[in-house]
Amino acid sequence: MHPRTLFDKVWAAHEVRPQQADTPAVLYIDLHLVHEVTSPQAFTMLRERGLQVRRPDRTLATMDHSTPTTPRNSLGIIPVTDGQAAAQLDRLRKNCADFGIPLFELGSANQGIVHVIGPEQGLTQPGMTIVCGDSHTSTHGAFGALAFGIGTSEVGHVLATQCLIQNRPQTCAVRVNGRLQTGVSAKDIILAIIAKIGVGGGTGYVFEYMGEAIRALSMEERMTICNMSIEGGARAGMVAPDDTTFEYIAGRPFAPQGADWEAAVARWHTLPTDEGAVYDRVIELDATTLTPMITYGTNPGMGMPIDGVVPSPDEMSDPSARTTLDKALKYMDLQPGQPLLGHPVDVVFLGSCTNSRISDLRQAARLMQGQKVAPGVRMMVVPGSQQVKAQAEREGLDAIFKEAGAEWREAGCSMCIAMNGDQLAPGQYAVSTSNRNFEGRQGKGGRTFLASPLTAVATAINGKVTDVREMLTEPVGV
Amino acid sequence: MARVWIFGEDINTDQIVPGRYAPYMLKNEDDLRKYPFVEARPDFAPTVQPGDILVGGKNFGCGSSREYAPLALKMVGVGAIIAPLFARIFFRNALNLGIPCFTADLTQTLHDGQQVELNLERGLLTTDDGQTIQLPEPPLFMREVWQAGGIVPFYRTYGRFPGEPAA
Ligand code: SF4
Repeated sequence: MHPRTLFDKVWAAHEVRPQQADTPAVLYIDLHLVHEVTSPQAFTMLRERGLQVRRPDRTLATMDHSTPTTPRNSLGIIPVTDGQAAAQLDRLRKNCADFGIPLFELGSANQGIVHVIGPEQGLTQPGMTIVCGDSHTSTHGAFGALAFGIGTSEVGHVLATQCLIQNRPQTCAVRVNGRLQTGVSAKDIILAIIAKIGVGGGTGYVFEYMGEAIRALSMEERMTICNMSIEGGARAGMVAPDDTTFEYIAGRPFAPQGADWEAAVARWHTLPTDEGAVYDRVIELDATTLTPMITYGTNPGMGMPIDGVVPSPDEMSDPSARTTLDKALKYMDLQPGQPLLGHPVDVVFLGSCTNSRISDLRQAARLMQGQKVAPGVRMMVVPGSQQVKAQAEREGLDAIFKEAGAEWREAGCSMCIAMNGDQLAPGQYAVSTSNRNFEGRQGKGGRTFLASPLTAVATAINGKVTDVREMLTEPVGV
Repeated sequence: MARVWIFGEDINTDQIVPGRYAPYMLKNEDDLRKYPFVEARPDFAPTVQPGDILVGGKNFGCGSSREYAPLALKMVGVGAIIAPLFARIFFRNALNLGIPCFTADLTQTLHDGQQVELNLERGLLTTDDGQTIQLPEPPLFMREVWQAGGIVPFYRTYGRFPGEPAA
């Protein structure tokens, strides 16, 4: 047989009808994740047409985007004080009840950010097609699944038919050679890739991350990388499954058990790209020379090594790019040639579906231990799920953050999207471990520097953008 | 005649409608029509007219999958979007909603506020100063969807996928 890529295999296995000259393919969807913000109109559409959900057993809902992350009250309940948010959550409850969809309710033991709970529950598995009304669905590709975000109309299509109309994307191999240095993490790899190719550089492609540096990463680190594939414009990002993948999935609530497990692992072993398969494009990156990365602008492609200086619009040959950078620097109130090291910050946000898993919190806590958040700096630590939160509390990580003066919050999207009460004030600077530094994303007029959890903690301790490598003599394990 | 609105590169969905203006955060979901480009270009929503054309730089619509960004544009009656490259989720959302998107780079050819006429069928743009610009001709499949006002309305009307021969 013709050698095939991981993507080719997953795509072919899910084609209900192949693409024709003038019409896209129809693709079967294995897992559909649902959250409160992008689903209401889709359910309305089902009701208007008298349709049922085709496969409620392949659908799972959670609450994350608009949920408050403020502490529980004396009854152990997370109070939702915003009337509109409360109505939105009620609507999801009713939709799930009416259509028989399992729901991880706010405050329940399994609730959390949709891209944290899928893998955590063992729902995300190699070879699957996974969609969600959320662009960071690309996260799940870390398991060798084909996972991508869809709009609300498409959420409706998938609820009604378990299928989706799709044009076949092209494939792009992203090879990261060598090993990372101390203080440099998965977040820095993906920020460096996006800085290199730009936010539209991957449009129309599915990325497959490979190479020594990727193989050496844990599942959670691979998720951080796949999560931000969309920020490079890619439709999805994938990593071929290996023993690291299987070990992570084994024993999780929705993972196959017993003989089914053996069969599943045997099937998953056939997924990695065949020797000699061809990609439409190849991108290479050297991990050994990577430094911690930070963004200076208003899209995730405006990133640089942490010890770099802000570029000058005058150096840009393309007039459109010059205007974009000029506008970004005005918004950020930064000057060309200015270093970011030493730049004061008001807020440090550790959270989001990019970096809020247990290994992120462990790494951050190791660095934070015995230290204090600098005076005048607000640091928020927001675990990605209730499971992550509980695990962190069992390990005493919450105490480390609290003693340092950071806020320890309930699980949710929080300040990543600022539609839940957690937001920056106009003009404030934040170092954020999330994935988007768009104008106003973290609050109107708020200014975001994207970086890794290690950079975030180092910055919180010093109150200004800090190169974490200065604080480390040995790697921070997880 | 329709007005041209020029936008830059990498226009993201949070610029089109910030997450904080999600339809459910509004008292009345119809109010979403007040918020396209509310912070990025505050003069847009109050003055845009049905049929107006957005002309953007590359990677238009990057960022979130939240469909209320293109939905807000549809609600104010945006007639078409022209950009050299569209972010894929946005492109599919726009198609699903029946908003015509043409792939072409006209940010340097047209200017903001210019009056133009667009023939959707043929992808032909005529400007007030007499230029005619041939946009890439859209496939039949897309034209059918635009005409029906989206993929779902199409399917409901014809009982088949766009582009598929009638049974
Ligand atoms: S954490 Fe941020 S990026 Fe992730 S799902 Fe929530 S809002 Fe989207």
